[in-house]
Amino acid sequence: MSEKLNKGPKAPKTLPFEFVPQEAETAVQNNPHAKASTEVDGVLDAMAAKFGPALIERIVYAGERTARIALGSLIDICGWLKTDQGFTYLSDLGGADRFTEDDRYEVYYNLVNITAGKRIRLMVRVDEDSMTVPSLCELYPAANWNEREAWDMFGLRFEGHPDPRRMYMPEDFEYHPLRKEFPLLGVPGSMALPPQVPTGELTQDPFPAAHGSKTPWSYEEVESEDEV
Amino acid sequence: MSIINDTNFSETLKFWPRHNEAIYRRLESKHSWVERTPGGHDPTGDPLENEMILNIGPQHPATHGVLRAVVKLDGENIERCVLDIGYLHRGIEKIAENKTYQEFMPYTDRMDYLSPYSNNVAWCLAVEKLAGIEVPDRAQWIRMMMSEIARISSHLIWMGVGLMDAGAVSMFLWTFQAREDIYEIFDEVAGARLTVSHSRIGGVATDLNEAGINLITKFAADYPAVLAGWEKLLNRNRIWIDRNVGIGLLTAEDVVRMGMTGPNLRGSGIAHDIRRFEPYLKYNDVDFQIPIRTEGDALARYFVRLDEMKESIKIINQCLDKLKTLRGPVRANDAKKSSASKSEVFYSMEGLIHDFMYTDTGVAPPKGASAYHAIEAPKGELGFYLQSDGTGSPWRARMNSPSFSNLQALETMMEGGVMGDMVILIGTIDPVLGEADK
Repeated sequence: MSEKLNKGPKAPKTLPFEFVPQEAETAVQNNPHAKASTEVDGVLDAMAAKFGPALIERIVYAGERTARIALGSLIDICGWLKTDQGFTYLSDLGGADRFTEDDRYEVYYNLVNITAGKRIRLMVRVDEDSMTVPSLCELYPAANWNEREAWDMFGLRFEGHPDPRRMYMPEDFEYHPLRKEFPLLGVPGSMALPPQVPTGELTQDPFPAAHGSKTPWSYEEVESEDEV
Repeated sequence: MSIINDTNFSETLKFWPRHNEAIYRRLESKHSWVERTPGGHDPTGDPLENEMILNIGPQHPATHGVLRAVVKLDGENIERCVLDIGYLHRGIEKIAENKTYQEFMPYTDRMDYLSPYSNNVAWCLAVEKLAGIEVPDRAQWIRMMMSEIARISSHLIWMGVGLMDAGAVSMFLWTFQAREDIYEIFDEVAGARLTVSHSRIGGVATDLNEAGINLITKFAADYPAVLAGWEKLLNRNRIWIDRNVGIGLLTAEDVVRMGMTGPNLRGSGIAHDIRRFEPYLKYNDVDFQIPIRTEGDALARYFVRLDEMKESIKIINQCLDKLKTLRGPVRANDAKKSSASKSEVFYSMEGLIHDFMYTDTGVAPPKGASAYHAIEAPKGELGFYLQSDGTGSPWRARMNSPSFSNLQALETMMEGGVMGDMVILIGTIDPVLGEADK
């Protein structure tokens, strides 16, 4: 290695550098990672025939089919997919914050038909004013913890959920951290950081300090609901 | 005067009162299928036949990290169980939204820290699918081989710790000896023992060197004999079999209903493996079997994982053969999608500019694109769902972690069992809390 370096830089002749900008459309068409298991056009056609306008939109990207469906028909469509189409396995469920004025949140469901080797993604949009989604726990018990996580992270309420507690954060926590307005550097009123020197004072978190919030000197215990 | 001297911490830092109340309320109201013994619960009688609520964890050596279980016991039988996770929650999805795609890759090492290489590969594959990046063949074979080594290293921990929970401490030391060999391989190939961060978007960081290939060849040659020795010890071992047989019984319907994944799914007779379901990397080009058992108890899952390690060795050997002849680049030759090679960066202006741009912004997938890519990690389906807003960092990065899916079924498995089997049940699920807590 050192011998190589001592020779000094060689004159750069032709560099192995080629850059061809790729259009978004070609990226969709020729995605090398597109999987056969996501080709569920037949299922989507059958869904459109059975539920009609409840299938709002079909999104195709990288060979994946996402069906955006009406919130009201979620239970019906999932029940139909489970019993008639064999999508018995719920692989994933999660929310997302679109940060728009209408239909701010979306929830998506990743369903798998194990025997046929197919995967389908359903997506519903939820408005900030309602924030309620019907719970899928009756149909897919696997949705239980995932729905609790979506409640914890986004504040989406799942109607009919048997155990609507937070998943990760303690019940005492009042915010929903994956919302886009949640700051990265602590929330106003959160615990102060430890002193930087042994005899120093508590350190203010920069975000609350910048927004005029005085950090409490020590953690004050929240009174529990039952005692009030 | 220091605030530390002034504060009575035992009073001021009482941990989350509302949270504990919610757990106890849930424990009381939970519907359980376990039938209560009639005529029991005599407060004056044998204390072992009375009801009791026991809190296990989060700091408990048998909970494999920071899992907390609150159980209601009837004597020795577990009547109800409520799990509490989140003690290792770092908001990793929020972090991902504020990092570039390449910057976030080292964070995935800290998810399932028993098989960091698989997580790197899963993240890079998801980003590559989102941005439509093609990866050179040699890089794919290297990734596949190293992921299989990571699978063995993860199963080794499961085996050693699981057996230590059952009382066989010497197995723990032996599996760590084998893990040490794997750490040496990672050290040589990636430059780090645990947090490898070797995979890059569009390929891998470095090609394998001669020493690395020799270490892998030696490991693949030696390991089957080591495994055979352990099988001789365990497969007819009265204590190990009796502790596992019929424990945590799950039917095929149960595991699908509860969304379990990985060896837990295949131990109950469901033939579902992402390597076959939607083959990624080069799994279509190698010959291997998916071990399946139909019994659905802890012993079946033990045999599934044992056989998986043998299949991994088969895959590693095929990768070694292929890599002998397959030459070529290990990273995509496209400076907008993968970091430029050092020869470009050092000796050309364009290379320097692209290196700067790649570090600063990185890959920028099309606006509005979303994609989900899953791999078969040692613990099951590890998937990333990414949404792009056209910038260099994801708008939403959702991770579907196998430990989270599997832990969900642990409550049901524990109810109806006895307290002594709890550690075996946690071991047979094989959770990693770094991944479940995100």
